[in-house]
Amino acid sequence: MRLRAHNGLMILAAALSAAAVSGWMTAAAEPAAVHPFTEALVTNQTGDSLSVVSLADMKSVAEIAIGGNPAGIAMSPDGKYAFITSPESKELVVFDADTRHVAKRIKVGEGPLGVAAHPTNGRVYVADWYVHKISVVDPLAGQVVAQIAVGDSPSGLAVTPDGKLLLSADRDSNAVSIIDTATNTRLKSVPVGKRPFGITIDKGGRRAYAANVASDDVSVIDIAAGTVVGTVPVGHRPYAVALARGRAFVTNQYGSSLSVFDLSGLQPVKTIDIGDHPEGIMADRTGANIYVSCWFDNVLMRVDTEKLAVTGEATVGDGPRAFGLFLR
Amino acid sequence: MVRAVALALGALVLFPTFASAHGPTRQKVTETVEINAPADKVWGVIGNFQDMSWHPAIAKTEGTGGNDANATRTLTLTSGGTIAEKLISNDPAKKIYKYEITKVDPKVLPVNNYSSNISVKGEGDKSTVEWKGAFYRGFMNNDPPPELNDEASKKAVQGVYRAGLDALKKKLEAGG
Repeated sequence: MRLRAHNGLMILAAALSAAAVSGWMTAAAEPAAVHPFTEALVTNQTGDSLSVVSLADMKSVAEIAIGGNPAGIAMSPDGKYAFITSPESKELVVFDADTRHVAKRIKVGEGPLGVAAHPTNGRVYVADWYVHKISVVDPLAGQVVAQIAVGDSPSGLAVTPDGKLLLSADRDSNAVSIIDTATNTRLKSVPVGKRPFGITIDKGGRRAYAANVASDDVSVIDIAAGTVVGTVPVGHRPYAVALARGRAFVTNQYGSSLSVFDLSGLQPVKTIDIGDHPEGIMADRTGANIYVSCWFDNVLMRVDTEKLAVTGEATVGDGPRAFGLFLR
Repeated sequence: MVRAVALALGALVLFPTFASAHGPTRQKVTETVEINAPADKVWGVIGNFQDMSWHPAIAKTEGTGGNDANATRTLTLTSGGTIAEKLISNDPAKKIYKYEITKVDPKVLPVNNYSSNISVKGEGDKSTVEWKGAFYRGFMNNDPPPELNDEASKKAVQGVYRAGLDALKKKLEAGG
């Protein structure tokens, strides 16, 4: 307890001084600026780097060494910083996306993987594959300020748009934890399909979609009720989910495809062939396009959500995962 | 060649098995071979999921389900170990099939969550066979011993692919 209070003061002081310099706290306290995304930041795990892709022309414009085989990624609410997990070096890497350089490296647990940024409080949540906890990180202070016990091998993380709840796909518990971000405590564990990995929350904060790697389906969770309201069969080894135009788009790693289903009726719409081992997936702000990193083929693909077809691709580094929110 | 693969696989017999989460970084291996034979002929040798006799490390293939998705096979290695596999998809028109390992002891092949595809592309009398694998290392936790780390798993898979593709080339170009 004494340690925590001490740390709290240190962190507050550090945060205030850093905020004065960077203006970050001000930015973080305001709603995210609503400008169209212009770049994708793609973590290349085997390439040990980050590719910056210009979305306007689907061209890689930079590849920056990261270290520690980066996998997970989240963005600060203003899009200026990327928070990248490097599981092999057990770090959270803070990347300044405007200047394209690594701003800070923070040691986090034993196997950092999934990561999410809070919309307003400046905290970054890092799921630990081996320690079965979520670390709450203050990226300004460069410190872990709290840990939240969850299920086994937490993977994907997502925060509700109002910032009140954090959801964790606890892969080896076949469950999703719902966590109160004000108290950093788990409110509930919701049983889902087998081996949930990626998790995505809708814009209204009402439902969450967990991709279940081992049962080849997606669990649809009513967040307020804390229950599964639907299970949708998808392709082989689903990884993550993006939402656009009232539909879910699911990357199927072994299927080399995207499963598309309708959010209201939870009925299948189409399966789209895509590159080998599609993984990280995210929609742009309007939902007109989604972007998919294809791990084996080393490309980021753009899919038109109306035509339901691939309309562009950019070559990136080796083994792109982009596990999380990677557009800015 | 047979002996080399058998030795490589046999050398892994000493390591214990684990039952928790896999390692954090998936590995990939791609090996290719150019063969002086038309693609149809090459596919005729490798396209049957139930017959892997073209690979020198495989002593026996036993399976069910033929060449349809979800067909299974158990490969018995010349070294004695077994690998259980499942066909994910098969497209004879495009000459590609995808499969995964459903059960293997890391001491037989030091990999986890292994998936793969093998394909043939032809141009006249020549073909290129490509064999791709995606997998995690044999040791599923942090700080693996060197024998079960990322490099060791990649090396083992590369060895299997290389031995198979080189033997395939030899067999086809010899007129077999």
